[in-house]
Amino acid sequence: MTLVQPPLKKDDDVEDDSEYSPFYGIERSAVLQEARVFNDRELDARRCTQVITKVLYFINQGVSFTQKEVTDVFFATTKLFQSNDIGLRRMVYLIIKEISPSNDEVIIVTSSLMKDMNSKTNLYRANAIRVLCRITDGGLLGQIELHLKQAVVDKSPVVSSAALVSGIHLLQSYPEIVKGWSNEVYEAVHSKASLVQFHRLSLLHQIRRNDRLALSKLVSGLTKGGVQSPLAKCLLIRYTTQIAQFHPLAVASCNVDLESFISDQNRSAATLAITTLLKTGNESSVERLMRQITNFVSDIGDEFKIMVVDAIRSLCLKFPQKCRSLMNFLSSI
Amino acid sequence: MDVSTPLIKNVLLLDSEGKRVAVKYYSDDWPKLADKLAYEKSVFTKTQRSIARSEAEIGMFDGYIVVYKFISDLHFYVTGGEDENELIVATVLQGFFDAVGLLLRNNVDKKSVLENLDLVLLCLDEIIDGGIILETDANVIAGRVSMRGADADVPLSEQTLAQALATAKEHFARSLLK
Repeated sequence: MTLVQPPLKKDDDVEDDSEYSPFYGIERSAVLQEARVFNDRELDARRCTQVITKVLYFINQGVSFTQKEVTDVFFATTKLFQSNDIGLRRMVYLIIKEISPSNDEVIIVTSSLMKDMNSKTNLYRANAIRVLCRITDGGLLGQIELHLKQAVVDKSPVVSSAALVSGIHLLQSYPEIVKGWSNEVYEAVHSKASLVQFHRLSLLHQIRRNDRLALSKLVSGLTKGGVQSPLAKCLLIRYTTQIAQFHPLAVASCNVDLESFISDQNRSAATLAITTLLKTGNESSVERLMRQITNFVSDIGDEFKIMVVDAIRSLCLKFPQKCRSLMNFLSSI
Repeated sequence: MDVSTPLIKNVLLLDSEGKRVAVKYYSDDWPKLADKLAYEKSVFTKTQRSIARSEAEIGMFDGYIVVYKFISDLHFYVTGGEDENELIVATVLQGFFDAVGLLLRNNVDKKSVLENLDLVLLCLDEIIDGGIILETDANVIAGRVSMRGADADVPLSEQTLAQALATAKEHFARSLLK
């Protein structure tokens, strides 16, 4: 996010026509002045939180700050680590991410964030991980890598998810480093938390993206059991479809498991399962499939029906002998 | 077929005139402020006449999937790419919508959102990280924003009586100081 834009006027007023808004008539320069309270010896946590909120409000409204103003706010914010107030600490994490400090500036908060990364409070750990990974460079990453790997297999879902999601982001810039986490990511299979399953699967897939065999193994290993998370199921179905395009035999065994997703309560998973099966099904399974989805089709909306009909059309072309039963099915919708 | 992780492009909270209350973008599709404002105006205008009050509605605008819901003088929008799974986008909207409801004790309108903007921004932060969905369960999200106790994986609804009283005290104190 670029905040470096020379403003046209010195003091930008925020226009807010609602008199009841707490930000009514507020001036940018006044808020920046207020940030001086961050330097107080005795920090008033509530006041500091309000000031941070005001700064974030400005950023949200698209008001621009000069580079110097941003730097000043950042430096002032770093003092706030001295307070133990939980609410304030959360706001500090938020504003650091919003301001995106430069490499030189990052150093000032690194040790505080690393301390939080080892805190007993799970939410501090999770958030510190997310902030660190957002602002890190290669050097810092090397320092915290061990902690991140440990966080991936942590029992707390919020910590594990934070590390996994950060891993997905970091894969763009530091692929070799994140690939070295494969063992830990694999171990995270023990977590029953729905979103951890989703994040873990996502990261594993990204790591193995160019290795078709590994991807096939990943998918067939998972469909055998234990994927409860609806989001993870959606991912699994996406990956199965991808693999089916170049390795259909590998997913033949998945088809049976995919059929069990048809009756899944989560509509998203069910619909995806249907359309995938229709695309990758073989001749013998067609009739069985038609029977299974008859009930389903009456439940879904028109847009989904169109998808189903489209897939059936391709099936007709693929298996001309089954045309009759497919036509019968279509006429009953 | 794109098999990447489901991604959210932006979350918008606009008022009844289409002006920003709280927004967060996770994509480079709208690089300048002008682009973002134009998108917000477009989406707002195109959904103005709909009555997405009791249930969320979905539309496809400018090549994006947008799921939206309105309450009082607020318009909630979540945007995904055109190939994105609509139900996933809808789940994110529902999570955000319900979590805000929990945090503001069902008093959801522009005034109370602005008065508790810190909570709403923290809420967004707990739902999506750089476009990747972090959490969709409103109870879990609200619990993480409130950050009660050391074990912050306890959802708001499962807190002990002591913890719930502490939460209530905190909210009361906040409202006194406004």
